[in-house]
Amino acid sequence: MTMVAAQPRVAPVRRLWAAPLILGLTILAGTAIGETWLPFATVLQTLANHLWGASYPVDGIEAGIIWSYRLPRAIVAACCGAGLALTGVVLQALLRNPLADPYLMGLSAGASTGAVLVTVAGVGGGVISMSFGALTGALLAFGCVVVLARAVSGGAGGGRATQAAAAIILAGIAGSQMFNALTAFTIARSANAEQARGIMFWLMGNLSGIRWEDVMACTLVSLAGVGLCLWHRRGLDAFTFGADGAASLGINVPALRGSLITATAIMVGVLVSKVGAIGFVGLVVPHAMRFLVGTRHDRLVPASALAGAVFLVAADVISRVIVPGQVLPIGVVTALVGAPAFALILVRGARR
Amino acid sequence: MRIEVEALSARVHRTPLLQDITLRIEPGELFGLIGPNGSGKSTLMRCLAGLHRASIGRVLAEGEDLVRIPTRTRAQRIAFVEQQADTTDRLTVLEAVELGRTPYLSPLRGWRGVDDDAVSDALGAVEMTAFTDRLWHTLSGGERQRVHIARALAQTPDLLLLDEPTNHLDIRHQLSLMELVGSLPITRVVALHDLNQAMACDRIGVLSGGRLFAIGSPTEVLSEPLLAEVFGVSAMRHAAPDGSSRLHFSHAL
Repeated sequence: MTMVAAQPRVAPVRRLWAAPLILGLTILAGTAIGETWLPFATVLQTLANHLWGASYPVDGIEAGIIWSYRLPRAIVAACCGAGLALTGVVLQALLRNPLADPYLMGLSAGASTGAVLVTVAGVGGGVISMSFGALTGALLAFGCVVVLARAVSGGAGGGRATQAAAAIILAGIAGSQMFNALTAFTIARSANAEQARGIMFWLMGNLSGIRWEDVMACTLVSLAGVGLCLWHRRGLDAFTFGADGAASLGINVPALRGSLITATAIMVGVLVSKVGAIGFVGLVVPHAMRFLVGTRHDRLVPASALAGAVFLVAADVISRVIVPGQVLPIGVVTALVGAPAFALILVRGARR
Repeated sequence: MRIEVEALSARVHRTPLLQDITLRIEPGELFGLIGPNGSGKSTLMRCLAGLHRASIGRVLAEGEDLVRIPTRTRAQRIAFVEQQADTTDRLTVLEAVELGRTPYLSPLRGWRGVDDDAVSDALGAVEMTAFTDRLWHTLSGGERQRVHIARALAQTPDLLLLDEPTNHLDIRHQLSLMELVGSLPITRVVALHDLNQAMACDRIGVLSGGRLFAIGSPTEVLSEPLLAEVFGVSAMRHAAPDGSSRLHFSHAL
């Protein structure tokens, strides 16, 4: 028997000022570090030149790397990290399942299938964008998983919470396998070897193609996600003792579940269409943050968004520098950190 | 709070679990709901809490149809403690009880002094004030049940619904919990397994096979023939030294 100390009651507001600072420093670091290390001063000078029309003398190639490649890439990594971490927070709270995660529940697999169908198989005849394909795929996969889970447990919102939780994970496995198979089938049928290799890289998460055009969508989606989660923070808290508990606390459970889970699917769809399916962010980050700031969503939501952003920018930097001359898919890095953490959560859950 | 159940029938997954229940619960009453396993106690509790919709009939709270009351308003007036509601979250007793203020809060209406007062009153009522910083998973079953009741009381309800609150508790915690429930000054409906605990209620309703078999004061209702017919046990009732009567069960019929 070990003694467990009480949760420190941290005033959320007092530490909130640090969040933009940490985020800014992370993005700066993500911009400075790479195959060629650029001094912070150069990064700041380039930013000043572009944002405030300053005229510091900066090397043209370095300025190009910073402004056109690394900065949008770092911003998109931060947005994706924040967004994916939040989808984990939402799914874990609403489904009362510590293992709920968009990657494990087939959302990412569905998004990949949608994206591949549009880009490789040419579904939609060029009218439909890859984002729309990924979005449709994510929603479809999620719909399948939820319907399957309901069929298995007799209602995911029913009283038998543990059974429903197990059902949704098992349904997620079935859904992921199905959609991954569809993706592989599409690639094998339609893509040539070169294309296939590119897609496999993209499926494991790839930030190489990120430009300024992608920044807007990702920023919007992740900021909207933070806002929506904070707006519903008490509703998310109310699920602590299950869906019936939330309903008896005055939460309109079907409406809240429906809107937040749809928002989650949209977020995953948009983010996957930009950077590919990056796993384990939604699983690892919320758990780590619950350990640090507790389970209340007024603290957990901003903390997870920030930590997710930092985690993914760091993972991106590691993926760029760990093998000289080569960029690893970022999903490989997150999985190498995430899979052991996933195992740890399983073991801790079993001990409880 | 006055509760009227009118000709209520309910189904779960197309299986009829309650049929034609009509009963009335008076303000301030301690009403016990008893019946064998599968007799529909939990379903009736969920209907009273507004968590399950009747297929026929209705539940009136102070004359108002429960399904027409907005969810938030309902949660400000009716609190429900489910059977074995548990969590794997690392939360403190205080955080668990603070959840009871959810129906009063909104994104634009923050935490106020009156919420602090309701929470500390609720913790005081269940004598758990000293436990505020303890983590949920370090609590015993009896302590958890008290926290659940405190969370329900923090809703400052007019009606408190408790579904088998003494389940899985040792005898001392069973008695102290029933004492606590008996002392609360609001309308209470308690589903119970222990028939001797039901003797302490003002009135009891007996469910059998989804129908209301009998209703009345415990001494009227818990007769030896009823216990044989509904529960299938041979029982004897005798007077305890303090004047109350106790049931003694000898064997299954």
